[in-house]
Formats: sequence, C-alpha cells, structure tokens
Amino acid sequence: MQRLRFAAYDKQESRAAFLFIIPAFALLAVFIFYPMIQALWISFQNYNLISSHSSFAGMDNYRKLLSDGSFGDSLWHSFYFTLVVLPVQTAISLGLAILVQKKFRGVGFFRTVYFIPVVVSFAIASTIFRLIYNKDYGMLNVILKGIGLPSVDFLSNPDISMLGIIVLCIWRAMGFVMVIFLAGLNNIPESLYEAAHVDGASPIQRFFLITLPLLKRTMAFVVIITTMDALKIFIPIYITTSGGPAGSTSTVVHFIYETAFKQMNMGYAAVAAFLFFFLVLIISIVQLRVFRTDVEY
Amino acid sequence: MKKSLLLLLAVVVAIGLAACSSKSNNGQGSSSASPSATESASPSDSAAEGEQIELTFWRHDYAPEAEAFKKLIATFEEKHPNIKVNFQMIPNDQYETKIRTALAGGNPPDIMALDAPTLASYANQGAIIPLDDYFAKDGNKDDLLKPVIEGLTFNGKMYAAPNNEGTIVMFYNKKMFEEKGIPLPSKNVDEAWTWDQVLDAAKKLNDPAKGIYGWNPTPWGFAGHEGAPYSEMAFLWQAGAEILSPDGTTAKGYLDSPEAKKAMTFWKSLFNTEKVSPKELPQDAFWNGKVAIHVDGPFAFSYQAQNFPNFKLGVDYDVAPLWKDQKMIGTTGSWGMAITSKSEHPDEAWQFVNWVTGVEGSKVWYEVTKNLPARQSTFDAFAELKEYPMNIYAEQLSKYGHPRPVTPAYPAISEAIRLLFEDVGLGNGDVDEALAKAVKKIDDGIALLKQ
Repeated sequence: MQRLRFAAYDKQESRAAFLFIIPAFALLAVFIFYPMIQALWISFQNYNLISSHSSFAGMDNYRKLLSDGSFGDSLWHSFYFTLVVLPVQTAISLGLAILVQKKFRGVGFFRTVYFIPVVVSFAIASTIFRLIYNKDYGMLNVILKGIGLPSVDFLSNPDISMLGIIVLCIWRAMGFVMVIFLAGLNNIPESLYEAAHVDGASPIQRFFLITLPLLKRTMAFVVIITTMDALKIFIPIYITTSGGPAGSTSTVVHFIYETAFKQMNMGYAAVAAFLFFFLVLIISIVQLRVFRTDVEY
Repeated sequence: MKKSLLLLLAVVVAIGLAACSSKSNNGQGSSSASPSATESASPSDSAAEGEQIELTFWRHDYAPEAEAFKKLIATFEEKHPNIKVNFQMIPNDQYETKIRTALAGGNPPDIMALDAPTLASYANQGAIIPLDDYFAKDGNKDDLLKPVIEGLTFNGKMYAAPNNEGTIVMFYNKKMFEEKGIPLPSKNVDEAWTWDQVLDAAKKLNDPAKGIYGWNPTPWGFAGHEGAPYSEMAFLWQAGAEILSPDGTTAKGYLDSPEAKKAMTFWKSLFNTEKVSPKELPQDAFWNGKVAIHVDGPFAFSYQAQNFPNFKLGVDYDVAPLWKDQKMIGTTGSWGMAITSKSEHPDEAWQFVNWVTGVEGSKVWYEVTKNLPARQSTFDAFAELKEYPMNIYAEQLSKYGHPRPVTPAYPAISEAIRLLFEDVGLGNGDVDEALAKAVKKIDDGIALLKQ
C-alpha cells in the first residue's frame, strides 16, 4: 500500500516534470529537430535551391563530397583556424583576466577597454579590419612602413590571409573569454594563496598548482565553446575576404554557404553540413571526457 | 517512465510535423490558386481596375539607377492609380542570396532584377515566366539590339526585359601617359591596343615607390561577385579560347586549350613577374591617380562626375577601346527585369516592366543613368551616343560584343572562372592545375543539371 502511494506520487511528479518540459521541447522540435530531419532527407537528394522538383540521389552526394578537393581544403582551413585560435586566444584571455583581477586604481577602466571589442558587432569589426589591413592605405601597413618594416598583405596573400582573420577574431573574442576566466578566478578562495605563500610557493608555482587546477571547470567551458565557435567561423570571412584570396580562407561554413546559395546545390550543401555536424559533435564529446573531473574542490 | 517519455517525444514530433505540413499545404494551396487568379485576370485588363494592386520589385542597390527607378515608378503610379509599386533596394553583395532564399521560400517579389547570365538557371527551374507573348503584344522587341536578345533568351524563349546593355572599355590617365612620353591609344575600335602594347605602356607607368600601378585589368579588382569574372572572361575569349563547347555540355577541351593557357600565363605575369597590376585594388584607385590604365563601364562617367568632379575627361583621363589579343572582344550583358512565376499579377507586372524598359522608359533610363542603351530607338534619340566617349562603347558593343554563356550551369561557371583567375593571379598557382580545377568545377555543375 505504502509503495503504491509512492508510485502514484512518482507518477504525478514525473507528469508535472513533463508539463514543464513540453513548451521548450516543442520549440526545439519545430525549430531544430524538424529542420534537421528535413536537411538529412535533402542530403540524399539532388535538390536545387529554387527548383520545385528534386530527385533521389542515394549516397551520390556523400560519395562525391568525400572526394571533393575544395571541401577537403575548407575542412583544413577550419581546423587550422581552430588550432591557432584555441591556444592563443585562451592564453591571452587568461593573462588579461589575471591582470585585471588585481585590485588597483583604474582597474575598471582596463576591464572595460578589454571588453569593448565584444560589444562591437562582428560585421562592423570585419569591415573596419578590412580597411585596416589594406595593403597600400591601411592603418596597419602605414604604421609598419613608418617604422621601417615590410608591409603585410593579409587580404591578397593566400599564405597569410588566414592569420589576418585569426587576429581579428581573437581581438574580438578575448574580452568575452576574459570575463569568464575572471569569474572563475574570483571563485578561488584567497586562503589557498595565503597558505601557499606561507609555505613558500613562488608566484609561478602558485599559478600552476593552485590557479590552473582550480580553473579546470572554467577552462573546460572556455575550450569547448571556443572550439565550437572557431570551427563554425563564417561572418568575418564572408565580409573581409569572402573566402579568398584564391580560396585560402574558405572554411567549411563558407563552403556550405557558397554551395547552397551561390551554386544552389542544397543537397550537396546538406551533406557537408551533416558531416561537419558529426565532426564537431565528436570533438565536443572527446573534450567533455578529457575535462571530466573526479575531484570537486 | 522511459515508455512515457518516448510516447511524449512521438506526440511532440507529430505535432511539430503536422504543424509544418499543414503550413506547407497552405503554401501549395495558394500557389495552385495563383494560376487560376491570373487566368481570371488575363481576359481583360480592365477587370483589375478599381481594386488596388501592389507589385513588389527587388533590385540591387546602385544610386544612379535607384534614382531612375524612382522617377519611372512615380510616373507609372500616376498613370495607373490602381497599381502601387513597392520598390526595394538590396545591397549588391546580398542581392543574389536574398532573391534565391525568397524563391526557395516560395515568397519572391512579383518582379525581380537579374543579371543576364543568371537568367538561364532561374528559367530552367521555372522560377520566372517567358515574356514572348507580352513582347509580341506591346514590347517592341524589334527595337532591341541583337546581342541583348541573345543574352536574355534561353531555350528559344525570352525571359527578361533589359534595362540597358553593358560592356567595358579601357580608361587611361592622360597626364601620366604624356609625362612618360607614351603615345596615346587610338579611339578607333578597330585599332585597339594589343595586350603587349598595354603591358609595355604599363611597365613604363608602373611606379611602386609612389604606389602607382600600371594596369588594373578588372573594374573592381578581385571582387567576390560577378564583376570579376565579367571582365576576366574577355581575356580568355581574346586569346581565342572558349569556356564551353558549342553545345554547352562540357568545358573539357575548351577551357583547358593552349589558348586558355596562354591567357592565364599572361594574367599570371601581370600580377607576379611584371607586377604592374594590383593584387589589392585600393578604393577609387584610378580616380585618385593610383592606377594608370583601368577598365570600366559607361556608368563610370556619372560616378566620376559625382565623386571626382575635378578629374576631367579629355584633360586628366581618356577612354579607348578595350585591349585585344588574337581577337578583339568585349564582354557584354547587363541587368534586366523578370516576372516571377509566383506573381499573382503578371499582367500588371508586365505593364510596369514595359513602362521601365520600353521605348520611352529606356530614354528616361539613359538620361538618368547614362548607361549603354539596349534599344536602337534610344541610340537614335541621343546624339551624344554617337559622339566620344559613348561612341566607343556603342561601336565596341555592336562590332565586338560577346555575351556570357547562357546556361543554367552559369553559377558554376562564374565561380570557376573567378577562382581560376584568383588562383593564378593572387596565388601565383600553376596554370595547368588551376585550369583543370576550373574545368572539373564547370563539368560537375553541368552534370548536376542532368540529374
């Protein structure tokens, strides 16, 4: 009898839980899951963007994509971008966070200054960097010439164009990551540092033995978010270089955009989107595993 | 617990699907209703009178042309008080994406502007309607120039009405030429300079210390839009190469011909060994005296008048026919107006299209935009079109004009040519490799259409 009553209570509880979930889930279903299923279906078709007819293609699109050199190139560009941005941006942001965590006069000013790029719209930042990077009249090259250095042609040299995009993206995102690190740093109890200080630990030892381990959860969040954002990079590329020069900044998302909206080949673009989705998914799962902590501080 | 969760999932997904499918049914319902609506409207134009009709019209943003449209729309609405034209300008580099998304979503404007070579892909997918019956009725088709009709005809039917025609000619900085003692190029289109003559002059004019480039061979530099392939294709044709086989089924054996290789090798040298051409074209480079030899369309004159009034034709700069190699060829083709198949008022849409592009509208268009006319009657109406500098455009157009390929695979061709010239010019890449890549891209695009 007692157990039955518990069972009934459980049932009531779970029913209430479902009621709370339904609105969010319905929205997800309509705006995320349904389009995803539809996209999966499109990926098996010869589907022209503006055509009313489409024909079944089977695995054709998948087979073609796997042997498509320009898709391979775009994958490499995305990963190259991520491999550079992830360590550099994380290190810079952490450095900034440690700098502005100290309490001194005017710290608020520096926090604000470092955060300002985040407030700038990505489209505007990209347009401005395009002007700054111009080989003949850009601010960057005028300064470089002024101090007697050779000019840098970020917008027309395929070998270094991606670095130009990387600088732009790090400049824009570091303030945001800095704030996350700042929150993590403020959660570390001051007493730990005092104890370490009494024990005679050097500042470097304190950083590696206290700060970094205690930042692990924050670090996990930062690394995963940065990786996903970096792999999906599109806006600055679309605006500053539109995939050029000579295709050297064409990332996967740019490839998908070009295929779907310029070539109007939706089926093929859907395949690229799906393969990329699974790649990002796998990477995120691996990262989550790596950062899983058994010890809670 | 698990079962009920599954059930819930199923129900929610079902609701989601039902909601969406009912939506798409509605969409089909309205689209199937539209032909019948047009049928009922077509017997007599007067049937529509009295009821207020709104036509939507999309066009990419370009200031002088927007002004011409506004003028023509105002007079049209005055004459047709029951029709209102909702004119929307869309930034140039977003235009194609926006119109395609709208077509895919089944919610396009009644009238859309299109660049001649994209016409075939829209027509092939049934997104726009043929205008032959309308042209036969009151479109004065005989008055249109032949290459214009050719460029707007797909599978024997004409799908758009032209606003104007376009081609590009050589611009040169007269003062710089005189300073260096270089003889000025002829203004006779039959005596155009050869590539080597232009390169020769460019080498003398090139002055890296002052940031002056000898020769800028494309109006907008390595742009991410159609402007780049528009001017680049001329190099291929001038060398004697073709992009597609005559039947339009393949690029193999045509785009990778020795002639094409010659054109690409020359192109590569301009940017990499001779270094007379800018890899990054500074804003308004020619007007600021940073480029000595330039290429541009007739719209350049009004642009110069507005933005650089002190940089004068005949004093600071002059124009000459485009350069040549084996052949003299200038790319042609410009923007036109098409009526979408989803339009519920195609007859009224045609009235507007004909108002803008017809015999009278065409004259207004020329007066405001100073762009090359598509109609003979406009050429006859303005004496200035027979005089320098417009006569160079007009003569080059009629003698040496070459439209871009009319094929539904054009988006693939445009992209392949753009990347080909970037790979070789900016990337200093291998000519054979780059050509093979372009051929494959175009042939893949053609193969896709057959499925």
